[in-house]
Amino acid sequence: MASLDRFAERVLRAFAGRTSRRSVFTLLGSALVGAATVPLLPVARGEDIEPNSADPKSGLQPPQTSGNPQDPGDQTRCDYWRYCAIDGSLCTCYGGTVSSCPPGTEMSPITWIGTCFNPADKRNYIISYNDCCGGVLWGRCNCQRNEGDRPVVRPSSNNEVTWCFGTQSQSYTCSTAVILGVATETK
Amino acid sequence: MSSVKFRAPSIGLIALLAGAVAVPMTAAAGAAEAGSYPTPLPAETIPSVRSLPATYPNTWAFLNFSSDRIELRNVGGDGREIEGDLQARDSSMLLISSTRPELYVADTVWSRFTRGVRTDYITVYDTKTLAPIGEIVLPTKRGLITAMEGMFAFTDHERMALVFNFTPASSVTIVDLVKRKVLGEVEIPGCSLVYPTVPRGFSTLCASGTLLTVLLGADGKVTGRSESQAFNVIDTDPLFTWSTQLGDVRYFPTMLGHVQPIESQGDTVTVLPQWSLVSAEEQAAHWRPSGWQPIAGDGADSLYVLMQADAREGSYKDPGTEVWVFDAKAKSRTRRLRLARPGSSIALTHSAEPLLLVQGGERLDVYDSQTGSLLRSLNMTGFRTRMTIQPVPGE
Repeated sequence: MASLDRFAERVLRAFAGRTSRRSVFTLLGSALVGAATVPLLPVARGEDIEPNSADPKSGLQPPQTSGNPQDPGDQTRCDYWRYCAIDGSLCTCYGGTVSSCPPGTEMSPITWIGTCFNPADKRNYIISYNDCCGGVLWGRCNCQRNEGDRPVVRPSSNNEVTWCFGTQSQSYTCSTAVILGVATETK
Repeated sequence: MSSVKFRAPSIGLIALLAGAVAVPMTAAAGAAEAGSYPTPLPAETIPSVRSLPATYPNTWAFLNFSSDRIELRNVGGDGREIEGDLQARDSSMLLISSTRPELYVADTVWSRFTRGVRTDYITVYDTKTLAPIGEIVLPTKRGLITAMEGMFAFTDHERMALVFNFTPASSVTIVDLVKRKVLGEVEIPGCSLVYPTVPRGFSTLCASGTLLTVLLGADGKVTGRSESQAFNVIDTDPLFTWSTQLGDVRYFPTMLGHVQPIESQGDTVTVLPQWSLVSAEEQAAHWRPSGWQPIAGDGADSLYVLMQADAREGSYKDPGTEVWVFDAKAKSRTRRLRLARPGSSIALTHSAEPLLLVQGGERLDVYDSQTGSLLRSLNMTGFRTRMTIQPVPGE
């Protein structure tokens, strides 16, 4: 853990050095690392998900929505607003939710983060892409979006890394998109 | 097992039946067919396992599917496409030896598939049979990252291998491939990936924007370190972590359309000035390098870079629509190849007339690298991840 602490400290120091608002770090905790990204309107791309349909006879997966107009969109689709910097399989397709892992998996406490724009309330939110680990290896609902992503030379803003650290298994299952708080200032 | 009992006669009967199953046909039909083919097909040998040539044709390439397998394909012919497959599980990386008849795959598995005891290891394969002939167990620290350049590299004329670790502390495991044992570990805090820039040792890209070069002794111990000035502007114009080497110089494209040459002279590694891949006009049209494996070289003077128009923040890993060819010495573009379909990873075979390989979606397209004409297209049904293409070394 000493080396992990050193890593977290280094990245957090680097992050703090680039960002004037430090209040957001009270939400992050010492185990979370990451970097603010430039928010963009959600754009679907890099999607490998079969179409959804609300028709129960279609045989297709129905949309999953929050039911809250302030959190709009289908959480099984790549263009859902919180997925602006995600790369992986969406946990909403595995029995998890947008903010929780599927049963039988473990959520990694260490992850990468992004800043995503909510089109409903027009706010930018800090989103933590916690990976779920040790579950079924399937590869469905693959979604790749790279807004603010940087090469692995800066691991905390790279989504190619399997962020399964501090978990019993480091085998990747899927990714969540958890709201950490409002980003009151962006770069 | 105690509840299952076999008797010798039963086994004999099963073998007899298995060997004798045939579809009966009428005597008349059989006679008619035999008239056309007086000699029956010869009996074939069981068991039979195909083997590969001791030296692969240089028009073959390994395709790392970044998931379940690393496939050897004949990309230079229109006949047999798949020559063989190597097992792969997680962030698997391949090294192809040109000095020994061996292949090396660094991999990670768990004893209960996705859980249980983790094992990191290098499997040594015989090139001719693809049989696993050796294994080197590694510290369970390998970076579990989408397979990419810099995670596994040769050094010391292929005597040693370097394995990039990420826990998330960064280090490198030094492996003796001849004695098939781990020599040690070198910490590289704040730096990522390994590039074989020096005869025995490596360079690594650091989050501070520098390049750290580490020299190793024959025992794998560090004998020297040197760090460049910061040059990698990670916020706005970072280097892709993919490169290609021409002569003494390794070239990395950058996100906004520069190329970063890094020169090696013995143990001295020099960061040379960047130059631009795009004109002012092309820059205004947001032509930028893009894709997963976006650069290739012909081993002489030419750089091949996968390019995308209308690039924007977040699009740097999206497929490119053209491959631009540059004379690295003249620092000027010589050709502009328009692809039949967008591509994510590119490579050049090491044949006398290099083939340009372009993976886009479920296809691997093979182009004439000089004319840009599409020669053939190989199907990879179900491919969903990112591909690393490794053509076999030239003779």
